[in-house]
Amino acid sequence: MKQSTFNNKYLPYVLLVPTMAILIIFLFYPAIETFRLSFFKVHPWTGAEKFAGFYNFIKIFSDAEYLRSFALSAVFALVVIAAGLSLSLLVAILLNNKIAGIRFYRTALIWPYALSPAIAGALFNFLFNPANGVMCYFTGVRTWLTNDKTAIIVVIIAAVWKNLGYNIIFYLTALRNVPTAALESASIDGAGAVKKFFYITFAFLSPTTFFLFVMNTIYAYFASFGLIDVLTDGGPAGSTRILIYHLYKDFFVHSKIGYAAAESLVLFTLVVGVTILQFRTTGKKVHYQ
Amino acid sequence: MKKWLLILVVSLLVISGLLTSCEKKVKVDESAQVEIEFWHAMSGDRIELIQGAVDKFMAENPNIKVDVQYTGSYNETLNKVKSAYKAGNAPDVFHSYEIGTLGLINSGIISPLDEIAKKFKRTIPWDDFFTPVQSYYKYQGDHYSMPFNSSTPLIFYNKTFFKKAGLDPDNPPKTYEEIRAAAVKLQAAGYKTPVTWNLHSWYFEEMICLQDQPFVNEKNGRSGKLPTEVAFNGEAGVKVLNWWIGMEKDGLFLDVGPGWSNHRAAFGSGEAAIVMSSSSDVNVLTAALTEKGWEMGTGYIPRPEGAKGGVAIGGGSLWMSNNHTPEEELAALKLITYISEDESQIKWHKGTGYFPVRKTAMDQLKSEGWFDDNPNYLTAFNQLLDSPETLNTAGGLLGIFPEAREIVESAIQEMYAGKPVKEGLDEAAAKVNASMAEWNEVIQ
Repeated sequence: MKQSTFNNKYLPYVLLVPTMAILIIFLFYPAIETFRLSFFKVHPWTGAEKFAGFYNFIKIFSDAEYLRSFALSAVFALVVIAAGLSLSLLVAILLNNKIAGIRFYRTALIWPYALSPAIAGALFNFLFNPANGVMCYFTGVRTWLTNDKTAIIVVIIAAVWKNLGYNIIFYLTALRNVPTAALESASIDGAGAVKKFFYITFAFLSPTTFFLFVMNTIYAYFASFGLIDVLTDGGPAGSTRILIYHLYKDFFVHSKIGYAAAESLVLFTLVVGVTILQFRTTGKKVHYQ
Repeated sequence: MKKWLLILVVSLLVISGLLTSCEKKVKVDESAQVEIEFWHAMSGDRIELIQGAVDKFMAENPNIKVDVQYTGSYNETLNKVKSAYKAGNAPDVFHSYEIGTLGLINSGIISPLDEIAKKFKRTIPWDDFFTPVQSYYKYQGDHYSMPFNSSTPLIFYNKTFFKKAGLDPDNPPKTYEEIRAAAVKLQAAGYKTPVTWNLHSWYFEEMICLQDQPFVNEKNGRSGKLPTEVAFNGEAGVKVLNWWIGMEKDGLFLDVGPGWSNHRAAFGSGEAAIVMSSSSDVNVLTAALTEKGWEMGTGYIPRPEGAKGGVAIGGGSLWMSNNHTPEEELAALKLITYISEDESQIKWHKGTGYFPVRKTAMDQLKSEGWFDDNPNYLTAFNQLLDSPETLNTAGGLLGIFPEAREIVESAIQEMYAGKPVKEGLDEAAAKVNASMAEWNEVIQ
């Protein structure tokens, strides 16, 4: 068969225009604008700008609350990733069994992913809010969301639950691709279930795990905003105010545009940095088939 | 020859331009077709109420078409206004909360109401507005925005529970000591957490007003200079929180967190017998208690024994953005004036519980006998009219009020968790002061 070829030199560029236009307008331009604004003091109403050098960066890094938020975000992300991945792997293994009604279980366990973070937040608010939360009634503790030590736990549970479906889908697909031949030959060689899981299944799952690791890092840093906004408003006393929420408050509530731009640059660098680090370290250990 | 003609024409144009700019009176075609935009921050049933008032206005002014939009909370609305202004299509009229006042006056994006009214030779009957309402929105003798939805906080209490606990259902507690005593009695009668309100700095601010103390320096932000330091960490603020936090520590007060639904729920379910909330909640709370067959009463918000201050109004007002054609400006002016007039205010009051901003509207409601059937609607008024007229009860103004509120609320949560009141307030004050200094610099 003859391979069809493009003879028109310009056609590829024409075809690229729509995508590039969207990327430039909605991604590159705002990103560059943010980068630029982080070096300015900006009038909250008219947007008039005054060059300020590194002022915004110096200010945010000398703010104790921002530093606390920095540490909090790291802990939050770590727990959400660790709990999210291990739990979803466990559920995926269970869902990989051939039992009656498995399709129903699969759907039921995956659907939370279809909810928007705000709706998930509203559901958890329904469970834990101090006035009439269902869990408050059952546990006899009503300070879940008003105590600065437990509020973050509720937010973590909600964040893990919300993203569980996403992780399960990927793990489930990966599990089905683990070659049975490898597992069988391991059995013949006398490997037990635990050994088989860690030496064979897990090795085959490593590309998925690595991918989910990166995606969950991004999720924990960026996408948990809606949950926090609905559940705790960043409180009590700033105990659930992770970086993305701090940024939201500074831009949308306090109109500190320069600070917010600097904060988003920091957040951007942080997440890109973490991802590169993951590629450099864990990425090397990943076994691709 | 041609050159001369050109010079002549140009100079004529320049002169006529100079002449028109000297002329004070603006010529505007009142019957020209105009379209204006109006963004507001009132959700739920209130969307329909506002649309109704605007429809009526359009029927009376057939040449004006108003596009009304509910644009989210006050904060969201202001953010949208900001972006729209930068893009050059700000709404002609927008709604802001009262605490946005000083920020907007200094924003450079608004047309002051008095200026616009003067431009079109229209007089707004300010004498007809309740003094506390206009003194909140008046800055240095000028009105910048049109008062619209006004409220004050109130105490709401469950009369049925009061009777059961042996308290006088017709005599609500008025002081800190009385609230506490009532709470102790209610608790003894089996109501475990008798008192609650949502975590909101507004109550704290109002309870400082009640002691006739300022919230910020520079005459409570009204001297004409931007305030530089807060005053809320003084004796008055400490007094308020010692009482408030003290009740929480002793298990009389239920911390329901921020937001406006939890305390309503606790009151509606019968868990709390006394709540503080906005007077605009009269409708909602009456309905919630009636459903359970309980009777509700309202009272003034509490003060320390002997305090001589009063309440400041809360709520919002309507602003006009600048850079519009004279026709649009006039239409906007007509619209906001119409909304502040009796007919629209009376409907608004009956539908929400926000009180009318004009005396004539109030007189009409009184003569209709509205308050005989709905005495709880009257409490907010009386509380306001019983308030002395001072700079403190006019309400504090500061540019970063929304942030200040958040800082105060965070401090209160730290106090719930055990931080001493004075220490928490001093820390909050330092944060607000630092932020205020930055804002003052950027805004100029």
